[in-house]
Amino acid sequence: MRAAIRSEWTKLWTTRTVWWALLGAFVLMAAAAGQNAIYVENGDVTTASVAVMSVTIAQLAFVALAMLVMTGEYSAGTIRATLSWIPSRGRLLSAKIAVVSAVTLVTGVAVGLLGGVIASAIVDDSGSIAGDAFKIGIYLVLLGALATGLGAALRGPVVTLVVLLMTIVVIPPLLQLPDIAVLNGIADAFPGVAGGHFLYGDADPYPPLVGLLILAGWAALAVAAGWQVLTRRDA
Amino acid sequence: MSITLEKLTKRYGPTLAVDGLDLAVRPGRVTGFLGPNGAGKSTTMRMVLGLDRPTSGRALVGGRAYDSYKWPLREMGALLEAKAVHPGRTGRNHLLAMARSNAVPDRRVDEVLAVVGLTDVARRRSGTHSLGMGQRLGIAGALLADPPVLMLDEPVNGLDPDGVRWIRGLLRDLAAEGRTVFVSSHLLSEMQMTADHLVVIGHGKLLADAPMTEIMGGHATLEDAYYELTGSAA
Ligand SMILES: Nc1ncnc2c1ncn2[C@@H]1O[C@H](COP(=O)(O)OP(=O)(O)OP(=O)(O)O)[C@@H](O)[C@H]1O
Ligand SMILES: [Mg+2]
Repeated sequence: MRAAIRSEWTKLWTTRTVWWALLGAFVLMAAAAGQNAIYVENGDVTTASVAVMSVTIAQLAFVALAMLVMTGEYSAGTIRATLSWIPSRGRLLSAKIAVVSAVTLVTGVAVGLLGGVIASAIVDDSGSIAGDAFKIGIYLVLLGALATGLGAALRGPVVTLVVLLMTIVVIPPLLQLPDIAVLNGIADAFPGVAGGHFLYGDADPYPPLVGLLILAGWAALAVAAGWQVLTRRDA
Repeated sequence: MSITLEKLTKRYGPTLAVDGLDLAVRPGRVTGFLGPNGAGKSTTMRMVLGLDRPTSGRALVGGRAYDSYKWPLREMGALLEAKAVHPGRTGRNHLLAMARSNAVPDRRVDEVLAVVGLTDVARRRSGTHSLGMGQRLGIAGALLADPPVLMLDEPVNGLDPDGVRWIRGLLRDLAAEGRTVFVSSHLLSEMQMTADHLVVIGHGKLLADAPMTEIMGGHATLEDAYYELTGSAA
């Protein structure tokens, strides 16, 4: 397992994808946090934490990175080579998730801190910068595992990204728009919404820890699906 | 160490790509793997690597499934069809990741790059490599962990005459060292000069598994012998 992780670590840092994704994460957070802080300052929106609110935008860079670590193997045609080095599908998928998680945790916390610092320079932010940054890191790690697992299950970068965007960005707000209890309840079961309740520390509709567990459940499901497809289908 | 196939069969929907192959590829000689386009050569090799699951039967390397080894690259080095390197990664970094996956020391990377003559080129992103450089990089990968078995799918594809001659010498040397060398090709005159033993398949079925001298029989060239075996017109 250590060898598989070393190999995947080496692969991660030897293409430009990771650099673009990490640069994107910081830029998106800075832009979103600046803009959201100004909205808050003007009284256009209220939020418990500008950094957490801005993760909605910054997370896209992390999701893209995580799903590319898996789907890039198919689009670049390298999956067969990779599996001939590391034939155990479980070990390969675990190594990829380990590498993505490590990078996401460190960068996610840093991005969260950046958002908090920018917000506190503009408004009186009620969130705790360090606490929120840590929660953002955890949230992004789980989202990254979800994206990696889904990438293994679907293989294509485009289809994977579309499904992720629909699930995280597009469908939940559409469900919440009419403000009907049933639809809101369904939206609350979506991974991004559940993760949001965890990040904001909401007591309603369920405790924050339940939000975290729902997100973790989705991530586990996606990883299990990816592992199944990797194991069952021809490479 | 040998590669052994036991009633190996692969069906893709209606296509029977590999049809009950029984075969042992033995060490100490170059075994050529011949057959028309679509005969099932690449599919057979993918099953040996555990990339495609056989519909029935099995493929073993040294008596075990390739994917059951902890460090499979140390058992068998393989070159598959088409590119296997991310275009944005340098050849050297590709080999470094490969070496680390099987706990092979990093210094082996520079050794095999020197063997295939890519020492300088390998620091460029592989998207800029020519077809022949890509093949050489693939061969460097196959040699990386110094395995006793080598399985190469059309390794001379895209190589210039110097490269073709170099591969011929390399394969003969590897076999002379006692390794198992299993190599597919469509270049019959080249195969005639390289292989000691030939396996010929058509429509996924075994047509011949015999020493080169036997297959040649009374024919002047391997090409003549091949057409007689596969029944395709010259
Ligand atoms: N993934 C796949 N899905 C469906 N059919 C496939 C797949 N891979 C191979 N085939 C079919 O299996 C048969 C054998 O193909 P294969 O690539 O193994 O032949 P080959 O001997 O390597 O041919 P070539 O000399 O052209 O490389 C062909 O009919 C091919 O179309
Ligand atoms: Mg082929």
